[in-house]
Amino acid sequence: MKNRYAYFIGCTIPFRASNYDQATKKVAEKLGIELTDLPDAGCCGLYFELINEMTYLSMAARVLSMAEEKKLDLMVLCNGCNGSLYRANKKLKENPELKDKVNEVLAEVGREYKGTIEVKHLIRVLYEDVGIERIREKITNPLTNVKAAAHYGCHLLKPSEEIMFDDPHNPVSLDRLIEVTGAKSVDYYDKQQCCGGYVLAADAKTAYRMTGEKLAHVKAAGADMLITGCPFCNVMYDANQKAAETETGQQYKIPVLHYPQLLALAMGIDAKELGFEQNRVRPDMKLFLKE
Amino acid sequence: MDLREELKSEIDGKTISYCFSCGMCTGGCPSARLNEKYNPRRILHRAVIEGKIENDIWLCTNCYTCQERCPTKTKVADIISFMRRIYVKEKGIPEFIKPLVTNLQNCGFTAPIGELENKRRERMGLPPMKTNDEIRKIIEKTGGGVK
Ligand code: SF4
Ligand code: SF4
Repeated sequence: MKNRYAYFIGCTIPFRASNYDQATKKVAEKLGIELTDLPDAGCCGLYFELINEMTYLSMAARVLSMAEEKKLDLMVLCNGCNGSLYRANKKLKENPELKDKVNEVLAEVGREYKGTIEVKHLIRVLYEDVGIERIREKITNPLTNVKAAAHYGCHLLKPSEEIMFDDPHNPVSLDRLIEVTGAKSVDYYDKQQCCGGYVLAADAKTAYRMTGEKLAHVKAAGADMLITGCPFCNVMYDANQKAAETETGQQYKIPVLHYPQLLALAMGIDAKELGFEQNRVRPDMKLFLKE
Repeated sequence: MDLREELKSEIDGKTISYCFSCGMCTGGCPSARLNEKYNPRRILHRAVIEGKIENDIWLCTNCYTCQERCPTKTKVADIISFMRRIYVKEKGIPEFIKPLVTNLQNCGFTAPIGELENKRRERMGLPPMKTNDEIRKIIEKTGGGVK
């Protein structure tokens, strides 16, 4: 089993979702995964995909070069970072001319991109590298009272032609990862719908209506909570749930957990060590207790 | 450069010629469902017929539903991202993105991560995040920043 990764958390996590970071580290420790922090890595370059391609690729290559220096594959926690870094890595590996141009830019900051490592999202690491069976061995507190709804988000799976993980139309990885905790993964309408986060700045009304639609579907399916694997989706559903309620005139009251928070509870890790003070809509902690 | 020529200059942009206007992209698009001003098929159509880009390109969530469903493998979402870059080249960075870019130039993150955030991280047993000026240098070198 691969068990060492360079660990990239991007911008949204340290700004608004350090609980995701904290829970991931607890889970990694239990699973024997060694994570190497990159505290000065900064941003993956995602937004420059919409502004200037050379800036985007150079920023992404800078982060990739940091993992290369440590000779480790790069684990990311954010779907946005996954899309941006995975695709930049692929594009640069396939285009030597583009790689040379990027390296001219990186020379400015004393770095070089070589194209020697892979990018993997946490959910992919857990599902492919660790595997459900190894995770099962660590479950000591099966969460049999919990009904959870999986939110995959977009850039964990898509564009599927490039990312090639799971099935973009009917994904199963996160559902399986929820089920191994002992919880029931509840199906709901329009499961693949986007959180809307990407248009928040341009058109908050559309974004919040999109967020609200999914919360309404999750509620209608009778789920106790929504489970995310992306800090930005999490912010949309949790921290911005009030704003979505104001926009749609509905009440949702759906707690939103980062997947490793759920997994950690099933591994018997104390909720106090999982940063729940940063979850806006508090889950009913009694749901996680042994019967 | 004419928009149509410009789209053809790039590998994803070229796929705009595959589109036969079936409308599947718009049918599955969450932004189109929630905002009648938005319609990805119309964005492609307008680009091909009139050679024009309008402000509605900024309403795409980049969710890739259209691209995954398109029967002709037109790279709808990637084309819209490419159109955004063309828009920026002509008209500059839209106001609503500028704060993010300014933050990146100042500290290397899209949001200012300071004492408050790092104190919280410390309480959680996590290492503090460090700002960097390498990203500012990269933005300057590639000309991507707020002027
Ligand atoms: S789904 Fe594809 S072929 Fe159909 S209108 Fe959209 S881009 Fe064109
Ligand atoms: S990527 Fe953009 S155009 Fe395509 S379905 Fe999503 S929001 Fe609509």
